[in-house]
Amino acid sequence: MTGKLIWNDIRQNKLLSFVTLVFMTITAMLLALTVLLSVNLLGAIDDLMAKAQTPDFLQMHAGEIDREEISQFAGKHDEIKEWQVCRFLNLENSSVSLGGKSLADSTQDNGLCVQGDQFDYLLDMENKRPEVAKGEVYVPAGYRALYDLSVGDFLQIGSCKLKIAGFIRDSQMNSMMASSKRFLVNEADYERIKEQGEEEYLIEFLLQEEADTGVFGTAYAEAGLPANGPTVTKPLIRMMNALSDGMMILVIFLVSIVVLLISLLCIRFVLALRMEKDMREVGMLKALGIGKKEIRQIYFSKYVLLAACGALVGLVFAYLIQGPLVKQMQELYGVAKSGWQTGIFSVLAVMLTEGIILFSIRKGLKRTEKLSVLEALFLEPREEKKKEYLQYLLIGFVTAACVFLMLVPENLYSTLSSPDFVTYMGIGNGEIRIDVRQTEDIARTTMEVAENLINDERVEKFTVLQTKNYSSFLADGTKCNLMVEEGDHTVFPVSYVNGTAPEKENEIALSTLNAKELGVSVGDSLILQTGNGTTTYAVCGIYSDITNGGKTAKADIVNAQDDTTVMWSILYVSLKSPVSRQEWLSEYSSKGIKAVDIADYVAQTYGQTLQQIKLAKGVAAGAAVVIIFVVIMLFMRLIVEKKRYSISLQKALGFTSGSIRKSYMIKGLLPAAVGIVTGLLLCSVLGEGLCGMFLQTLGADGFRFVVEWEKILLLIPALALLTVVLAVRLGISEIKKVKAFECCMRKE
Amino acid sequence: MAELLRVENLCKDQILNNVSFTIEKGEMVAVMGPSGSGKSTLLYNVAGMDQPSGGSVFLNGEEITKLSEDEKAFFRLHKMGFVFQQMNMMGNLNILDNILLPAVQANRGGKELGKRSRKENRSSKTQLRENAAKLMQKLSISDLAGRSITRVSGGQLQRACICRSMINHPEILFADEPTGALNKSAAAEVMEEFIKLNREGTTILLVTHDSKVASRCSRILYLLDGNICGELKLPKAEGSMEKQREETVNKWLMEMGW
Repeated sequence: MTGKLIWNDIRQNKLLSFVTLVFMTITAMLLALTVLLSVNLLGAIDDLMAKAQTPDFLQMHAGEIDREEISQFAGKHDEIKEWQVCRFLNLENSSVSLGGKSLADSTQDNGLCVQGDQFDYLLDMENKRPEVAKGEVYVPAGYRALYDLSVGDFLQIGSCKLKIAGFIRDSQMNSMMASSKRFLVNEADYERIKEQGEEEYLIEFLLQEEADTGVFGTAYAEAGLPANGPTVTKPLIRMMNALSDGMMILVIFLVSIVVLLISLLCIRFVLALRMEKDMREVGMLKALGIGKKEIRQIYFSKYVLLAACGALVGLVFAYLIQGPLVKQMQELYGVAKSGWQTGIFSVLAVMLTEGIILFSIRKGLKRTEKLSVLEALFLEPREEKKKEYLQYLLIGFVTAACVFLMLVPENLYSTLSSPDFVTYMGIGNGEIRIDVRQTEDIARTTMEVAENLINDERVEKFTVLQTKNYSSFLADGTKCNLMVEEGDHTVFPVSYVNGTAPEKENEIALSTLNAKELGVSVGDSLILQTGNGTTTYAVCGIYSDITNGGKTAKADIVNAQDDTTVMWSILYVSLKSPVSRQEWLSEYSSKGIKAVDIADYVAQTYGQTLQQIKLAKGVAAGAAVVIIFVVIMLFMRLIVEKKRYSISLQKALGFTSGSIRKSYMIKGLLPAAVGIVTGLLLCSVLGEGLCGMFLQTLGADGFRFVVEWEKILLLIPALALLTVVLAVRLGISEIKKVKAFECCMRKE
Repeated sequence: MAELLRVENLCKDQILNNVSFTIEKGEMVAVMGPSGSGKSTLLYNVAGMDQPSGGSVFLNGEEITKLSEDEKAFFRLHKMGFVFQQMNMMGNLNILDNILLPAVQANRGGKELGKRSRKENRSSKTQLRENAAKLMQKLSISDLAGRSITRVSGGQLQRACICRSMINHPEILFADEPTGALNKSAAAEVMEEFIKLNREGTTILLVTHDSKVASRCSRILYLLDGNICGELKLPKAEGSMEKQREETVNKWLMEMGW
């Protein structure tokens, strides 16, 4: 009997049941998708890192190293399981071509390496350690799509040609956000090409499971071991790996939460409408002696059935949609081993979603339990006006929420792809960036480049920033390394969360992560140990930075007499307006100066992430459009159904279908328009905060959206409005079918 | 005859004031009175659908006013039948399924109590259908079994309601203005069904405005301002005496100030 009741109820209320099912499906699909992608990504990264045996702590170093010194240090530290020194042959990008395409424009530090002896393995696409034959090379997996490569193509370094034998996953440097890329070659080839690049070292440590990388880092710094380069830890590598695709998952998660809220609200509203209609039936069932439990079961079973269908369909859709979304993840990190876990977690996510919805429905149905037979039988329906008002309010709310859904990922995308975003990454907003690294004498080369720029009339302004490694002290007095970028930071300033750029001597600005670690804020003092003793500096500003692991510092000049080696130099340049940037860049490249367009730098560093966010914003926009359409069409249909009597009366009095439809069109469009405006406001107030919270974890504080106004004010509202118009038109199409005589046959 | 229903000093807020009466097995009693006199309230309180503010109701010696909500529901399902003025049928079910609904529910309860086997359940389902078919035949609506409730006349629907109220063989049938929403001929048809059921032994308590309907009963209680202020006993209903009974009732009602 219950089965018949459910089936007949669904048949008689096709639209309402369908809408409920759509909500349940979309919500389940999005949450399942979030889980599938997360489990896939994290599982694949963990698998890859486990197979590759990623080091727990690694110190990059340019310059000579003393292995004996490191060996002694390792002997004293029980927490070190294994250690090794990997060589990395940094190549001059302009002398490298990949599949016939030059790497001159690449913002990455491309170099050769051989397979690690004991750990930190580079793995092939089957996550196995490849045997590299002489004359062959394995290329970073991320480059396959970027340079349209296939096995058999060639990597050319100067006059030396290596055949691409396959692609490798590098657990450390897979992400485009990692600034270096390793090509795997045979030992003999490495030695042969050695002269064409600058050799750098990766001093790597594999620690015992319980060891703290932070404590170990401090011990390493205190031991005065080679540290001419950034320090990277396993958690940072993991985060970097997860970040590029994690952004997409975050966007989808955000969308699913908003959709869940909309679903709950709409389903509860539809339920309230239905129950008002069904209340007399409930009363009758109670009068017949049917128990509370059974009555609830009759009404609840339908939703359980719909939820089960929604969960199933949502799960199937999630599996179908994840295909294209995990493509890049699988390319970079491989397929997650734990297939059954993915299944279980996605089913659990779907069950949780439907559980929340069903719980809300059950709470809604509780009302029927509290009513006595007589109340249910003779309950006066709530005031019609109030219900109608609520419906219009919901139209506005849903439109606002959906516009918010479309705008936040759009703004996140435009922000991350904007050249101004670099100022949140600790990079000045110049047009061109020149890196001086891996040369014999960095300071001298920097001076030469600077002289070139001084004599170049096309240059509007430039600044030289040199990074040196000093020691500082943590709050507890332990020593730590601090990479300080020296130079005039006011020419191309970064975005400061607090305070200003260092302008005077003895002023220092710190990245948020460093400020946190050192336990200082603006106005506090900080002691730096230079070659000539210790000096106290005043912290003048705190800025967000996601380069070099987010731990950097900026000072005007630390100590003019100090002879600490320059680790690398960066020169930011902007050109006078009519000068062609491309021509200028190629001219400087031909002089052997590594100059890149900052827009290209951003595009290359965040290309992967942007690609993924683009996909996610597509999913978000799609879901938003479907929801706007379904909800508004449904609500307009409900309104027309309720107003059937008065529409019929209007027709009887001589109103045309067209004029009645026009008035309902306005009634539907008005709250939607208000919703669109509210969505815009919500996005700027809430959206920025939400994305900021996430980016803060990466060190990008004080985040502000970079808004593409034409899209925000025209394209998205236009898309939303068009959907609303179509939905309202379809929703009120029934008006045509209402006959003038109907009002004489029945009462309202 | 044995007493079936006893109402003692029943009170409900300001509507009913110490109402007391008894109904014996096989009786057909009408409650009449002007609008707002408390007729329907009396019926709903006696049937356990509402909780009186004072007094007691006994059905077959068991005090139903002291029962919990669930126990009252059990009582209504197994021992009482109810016919509404507005019929109140499930829109999602056809006529037959609407009639079967309380039977299926009662059967489910039996399943829980007796833990019958699946086979027995199946046979009892067939039995239920047979019972429903017999009832429908008796009330001449056999051909409406598969119809939707929106595709039958008011009279037919009310007869279906009577079938539903009788499906669990109740000890007493309550009816609230059962002919109130029907036209004259349909009302007469429905009333005939009540009389038939009463003749077969069903005890009936009905509320009506219609003196013609009341004249077919064995007794009439007159309710005014929440008090029973008059009672009229009528001889057993015989077709030939219909007119005479009606006149008697009308005369009595006039005396009562109707």
